[in-house]
Amino acid sequence: MTKKSDSTEVKSGNKRSRKVEKVLEKLPSQLSRPVVGSLVACVHCGMCTKVCHYALARPDDPKMAPAYKADQVRKMFKRRHDWTGRVFPWWVGASEPKTEEDLEKLKDIVFGTCTGCRRCTFNCPMGVDVATLVRNTRGLLTSVGVVPEGVAVVSKDQWEIGNQMGVLSEDYVETLEWMSEELVSEIGDPEAAIPIDKPDCDVVYSINPREIKYDPRTIANAAKIFYYAGESWTMPSEDWDMTNFGLFSGDNALGGAVGQRLFEKTKELGGKKLVISECGHGFRATRCEAQTWAGMDIDFVMESSIFTMLNYIKDGRIEVDRTVNSDPVTYHDSCNLARSCGVTEEPREVLRLVTTDFREMTPNRSDNFCCTGGGGAMSMSEYTPMRLEVAKVKADQLKATGAKIVVTSCHNCVDGLSDLIKHYKLGMEVKQLVDLVADAIVPTREPAAVEPVLASMGGTLIGKKILVVDDDPDTQDFIETVLSDNGCITLTASDGDEALEKARAERPDLITLDMAMPGKSGVEVFVDLRNDPDVADTLVCVISGRPEFRKVIYDRPVKPPEGYMDKPVSEDNLLKNLRRVFELAHGARVDAKV
Amino acid sequence: MSTTLELLKIAPESSAEISGFLEFSAHTLQEVALIIMALVYTTRIVWLLRFKPTKERQAPTYAGTTPTAGIVYSMANIAMPWAMESTRKGFLFYLQFALFHLGVVAAIGLSFIIPYASGLLTSVLVVTILQIAVGLACIVALGRMIRRIVSPVMRLISTPDDYFSLALLTVWFFFAFLAVANNATHGEWHLATYFLMTAFFLIYVPFSKISHYLYYPFTRFYLGRTMGHRGVYPRRVGINYRS
Repeated sequence: MTKKSDSTEVKSGNKRSRKVEKVLEKLPSQLSRPVVGSLVACVHCGMCTKVCHYALARPDDPKMAPAYKADQVRKMFKRRHDWTGRVFPWWVGASEPKTEEDLEKLKDIVFGTCTGCRRCTFNCPMGVDVATLVRNTRGLLTSVGVVPEGVAVVSKDQWEIGNQMGVLSEDYVETLEWMSEELVSEIGDPEAAIPIDKPDCDVVYSINPREIKYDPRTIANAAKIFYYAGESWTMPSEDWDMTNFGLFSGDNALGGAVGQRLFEKTKELGGKKLVISECGHGFRATRCEAQTWAGMDIDFVMESSIFTMLNYIKDGRIEVDRTVNSDPVTYHDSCNLARSCGVTEEPREVLRLVTTDFREMTPNRSDNFCCTGGGGAMSMSEYTPMRLEVAKVKADQLKATGAKIVVTSCHNCVDGLSDLIKHYKLGMEVKQLVDLVADAIVPTREPAAVEPVLASMGGTLIGKKILVVDDDPDTQDFIETVLSDNGCITLTASDGDEALEKARAERPDLITLDMAMPGKSGVEVFVDLRNDPDVADTLVCVISGRPEFRKVIYDRPVKPPEGYMDKPVSEDNLLKNLRRVFELAHGARVDAKV
Repeated sequence: MSTTLELLKIAPESSAEISGFLEFSAHTLQEVALIIMALVYTTRIVWLLRFKPTKERQAPTYAGTTPTAGIVYSMANIAMPWAMESTRKGFLFYLQFALFHLGVVAAIGLSFIIPYASGLLTSVLVVTILQIAVGLACIVALGRMIRRIVSPVMRLISTPDDYFSLALLTVWFFFAFLAVANNATHGEWHLATYFLMTAFFLIYVPFSKISHYLYYPFTRFYLGRTMGHRGVYPRRVGINYRS
């Protein structure tokens, strides 16, 4: 017999809330062989407490033991899926949560007392992957919405806006352009500009949204390194976020979706290599987990920017002067890079090449302590006091090095370390490898000769002949007026046949092309243009209010358009994008000549 | 006490024949218990294999790293106390672990030696070695029980099965210690108890945490395979320039 209450459904004789029922129903979907092995193999020896920073910082609190945290899901598994637990649950500690209060307590355990650093996993004599069990418990709670608010907000942003900090597309592009302008000004070479959506590059560079919001200099530093290395590279205009809150929330669906977006964008751009900026969890999620989550194979290479920088130096593509970085530095190993991806030696080699006083902390490499900011901890303000308390272990470790700078290759670690350095008054600075490498670069490349047409971003449209193709009279008038006011010679066409006729007759410098038109569609016009040798090289900028056409266009077996804008398009956006198309096209022609 | 000490000595050649009950306990009962254990373990392994295996879909993190190397390193991990911080820092604890498990091997071995190779137990050397192994294991087990009762962490994470399994083994080690000399001259109670406990132990093990040794290869295999694929295991020496 079933009764319904306002928020829970209670079955007679089985007083479990609806959310708890859903959690227990979801549990089997997580049970792979490795997970079940970890669930049944724990002998409760307590060795994990010797290495967990929570347990070490709070030795009098037995609930900090990793085995206790993993037992939260183990108890449920035993009760439902293990023979002894089903028949004699009390004998083996098998039990299930019953109420939403139980789920809230569980949330505090798995989100508030664990960063998923995996030190416990690596020190378990049985090889129990405690951190994965905690992550799986997070996943169960996430599936019913029992998550810390910060995690919920960030996950929502990543689902809906495409990046975990809710950075809007315009803000992202504007920040890139700002850094680009500063770099061009610093170096004195327009070729140092950050290319956006440049097709068929060797490198597609993806970043952490934190770099846009809080630390854009890292983007400029990376661009500087790419410039001096003479790299063929680009940054995507969208689907650029390589971080992945699915890793922290235990939500493999989010994890797969985020990874898939980035992979598809890289493929769309024709990039040969996806370089992931310095981010521990971003690298782990993108490089090591997302393909499995998304069920996707890829045909390009992925690497951390650590390797990119190291190879540039080793291959002689950039020259560095290590004396520029003479302060004593130490290196903090991000948990995800070191323990989940094996990246330990390469950052150290970079540091030896670009600094003069590198001091190892103890322990280090895959034994290093967590910065305490991982696992999404920086987004969960309700657990900040505990986080800073248990950070004492890390603070002592940093202090013992005597270094002035702690270098890390992870943005979560930058925040986590910065917080604890401030809290414990260590007086240290936190930097990333990209900052040190950029500072140490010896400029060896001569700025390219600047042609008058590139001298200012406003001059590239004057005199250009542009064919505006759109069946909507208002849109056509708007685009035509804006371009005419900015010095362009404009032509118009209202349907596909007219567009092709004028393109062949007038040979415009650029065509703005609507997609959804009566008769011959924009897609057909585009393919016909590309297949006509007389007009195949005409620059095309698609302007469409139908986002589904993007995939259709890029799936066509022809060279993709040089630009793509979504309607409604503003005057500023239109001019900015068309100028960029001309600049990139001019740059490509210069490269071809060289 | 003197009788107990007599039990620890090798039986004289002219010792009395054993009773039918002891004969049954040492042979038939052990064999039946072993068969039951084997059947239950087989069922358990089949159950474990029903869960889906996982796959590392991405390319290896480094060229040259292999899942196989990771698996071998992971499997051997427990024999490398220097490899884990927990065993480096707690070497005494690790030593206790080693003594405990050597005692388990000795005590289980004894259940085969007495019925099928009792001639070995006429050697003073063999008997002494086994008594030391099992005796030390019994002392370690007692210490571990005290730890499990006294430590707040251990109390929190321990279940009745944890306590019972440890108590069972502690008592079993004690009787194994008494049984090593295979001396029934002053009574068979110690030998009978040892064999009865062994039979119970064999049947109980698959349903308790003592069966962890069955799962060790699984956890170590999958952890090692993942970490080998990602270049984490074995612990790296040298730099890879290409990811």
